[in-house]
Amino acid sequence: MPLLLKTTRFVESQIDSFLDIVSDSATTFQLAMEDYLHGRIEEFEARLSQIREFEHRADDLRVSIERFLYERTLIPENRGDVLAILENTDEVIDNIKDSLLQFSIEMPEIPSSLNELWIQTSKASVAAVEQLVFAVRSFFRDLAAVNNYIHKVYFFEREADQIGERLRRKIFGMDIELSRKSQLRFFAIHIEKISDAAQNVCDRLSIYTIKRQL
Amino acid sequence: MFFFYLLSGLFLGWSLGANDTGNIFGAAVETRMLRFRKAALIAAIFITLGAVFEGSGPSGTLGRLGSVDALGGAFTVALAAAIAITVIVRIGIPVSTSQTIVGAIIGWNVFSGRLTDYRSIITIASSWVMAFVLSGSIAAGLFFLARPWVNRSKSHLLEQDYFIRYSLVIVGAFGAYSLGANNIANVVGVFVPVSPFTDIHIWGPFVLTGLQQLYLLGALSIVLGIYTYSYKVMRTVGKDLFHLSPITALIALLAEAIVLFLFASRGLYNLLLSLGLPTIPLVPVSSTQVIVGAVVGIGLAKGGKNIRYNILGRISLAWVTAPVLAFLISFTMLFIMQNVFEQKVQEETHYIFDRVTVTKIVEDGFDSAALSTVNGRSFTAERDIYRELNQLHALSRDEISRIIEISEIYPLSVDTVALTNSGMHRRFSAEQLAVLRELEGNVYRHKWQLRVLLTSREEFLYFPEPESEIQKNQNRILEGQLNQLYRSFKIEKEDLE
Repeated sequence: MPLLLKTTRFVESQIDSFLDIVSDSATTFQLAMEDYLHGRIEEFEARLSQIREFEHRADDLRVSIERFLYERTLIPENRGDVLAILENTDEVIDNIKDSLLQFSIEMPEIPSSLNELWIQTSKASVAAVEQLVFAVRSFFRDLAAVNNYIHKVYFFEREADQIGERLRRKIFGMDIELSRKSQLRFFAIHIEKISDAAQNVCDRLSIYTIKRQL
Repeated sequence: MFFFYLLSGLFLGWSLGANDTGNIFGAAVETRMLRFRKAALIAAIFITLGAVFEGSGPSGTLGRLGSVDALGGAFTVALAAAIAITVIVRIGIPVSTSQTIVGAIIGWNVFSGRLTDYRSIITIASSWVMAFVLSGSIAAGLFFLARPWVNRSKSHLLEQDYFIRYSLVIVGAFGAYSLGANNIANVVGVFVPVSPFTDIHIWGPFVLTGLQQLYLLGALSIVLGIYTYSYKVMRTVGKDLFHLSPITALIALLAEAIVLFLFASRGLYNLLLSLGLPTIPLVPVSSTQVIVGAVVGIGLAKGGKNIRYNILGRISLAWVTAPVLAFLISFTMLFIMQNVFEQKVQEETHYIFDRVTVTKIVEDGFDSAALSTVNGRSFTAERDIYRELNQLHALSRDEISRIIEISEIYPLSVDTVALTNSGMHRRFSAEQLAVLRELEGNVYRHKWQLRVLLTSREEFLYFPEPESEIQKNQNRILEGQLNQLYRSFKIEKEDLE
């Protein structure tokens, strides 16, 4: 049994590390976005490789957690739910990385008049991810608080949608080539998708929370 | 020969191990919080401990219901119960071992023409209802206590899991101990009056009494049942009957363990008694009923929406059919044992209404006119006396039972040497043994003759009209001692002449 407690503590710390990485990825995304908009491409590329590193570590941690949960039959009743949460949260990091990678490949030219809305959209998406991390942490440690955070995630997801919509309207109202409009819209949607991914996790999380409550 | 006959009791023990362990560890194994091997090991150890060290309380109650006085009878009664259980478990319904054995004992009573003690039946049957309601209430109470803890707990999900896992082991061990203590009476209870075991001195003050050896054998058969068949039942109980989460499984298990313990512990009984609190009868209750009660309690506490009433109905039906089936099988098999295999399933008992017994009956406050139909006659079955006395409608069933007790011929010779040799002298104080030694060699024709002599002495304190629970308990202890003396001092009828 002491061995079990040791494993338990180890898996707990791995879950915490995993969530730290998600949170760090979101913050790094925000900084990378600012670097890109202000033309600091070198810094932007450095952030991208940092996020790639995060993604690798998150994947390794997730697989390790999965292995421990199944090998040691920990939380047999909830492990399916926990794995679903971790896998879906992992997709948020994938989304963040994909988004930045696309920037790095296509290097879209963003008119400076869009900067503010662009930053606002990415801030709302990042806030959704940060609240998601709080929600997931609460799922493990403080069940009563989960719904508050889930509520916040939904709020920021709506916020990202609304600002994103304004951004896209503005893009298509500009006097630029249709192909460019189309390219910019693609990037705007990419940013919104990050908060959508956070919302998807919350949809599951709210059900798992009900399941766990007595 | 005894060991051959005991086989049916061991078969019953096997079926109890297979059936009832599922009630304790079913949910824990099915939710994969405990591996079967670990659950089986805990169950095996603690059921054995409970049976050997605390099994005597509930056995006494079964003994009062019907004292099966011949080995062949005990064999048949246990076999009938085991068959009834196996049949019903085969259909896929968890069954109550306690109810089944009671049905089988009543079958023996009816077959051998003994009057069934209705009060014992009422005590036992009401304790079943009480156990069901009590476990439901305790489970609901525990649920309400646990809910805020689980919902507002700040401990990590994984740590909660660790805590629940540990608790399931500890509470499961407690439950297994209580099950052993409470239910061993079902397995070998009918063999208690006919057991040939004598005490074994292990080391220093440690003695394994004859009774404990019998319980140990019973417990080993339960262990065999756990290892050979209980896995299947555990999965069924855990999966089909009611799906519990680990935490609700823990609550249900704790409620079950508490209830089984309440109905089994002589220590607790004495404690309640000394505190002047109402006591709980020491009766073998059904672990199936108790766990179902606990689950219903939790279901109701949750709002009553998740209870599967159709399955509950099916289980309740088995609570009626199992004893009836056991009764029928028992009665039929006793008939076959006696008439086809020519085995003795009951001791031949004689009842006589001569000058001595009639005088005693009148002394005890009965009207001699009521005895007109039996006066001067002798009988071989309680039922015949009951029929004769009941013709006048002047006596109640209880009064007739008391008259029958007085008229029973039960030759006794005070023999303290035999008492010491069998190790049973330990149940008596030095002063009591001194009184018995004074009577050494005296011969009595009826139990009450010895009883009257002994209860007139202060060493055998008896309260004819007990006023408090403590006095009632003293009377119960004395009854137990007297029954022991009757068994130890019994001689053949021929020796009397």
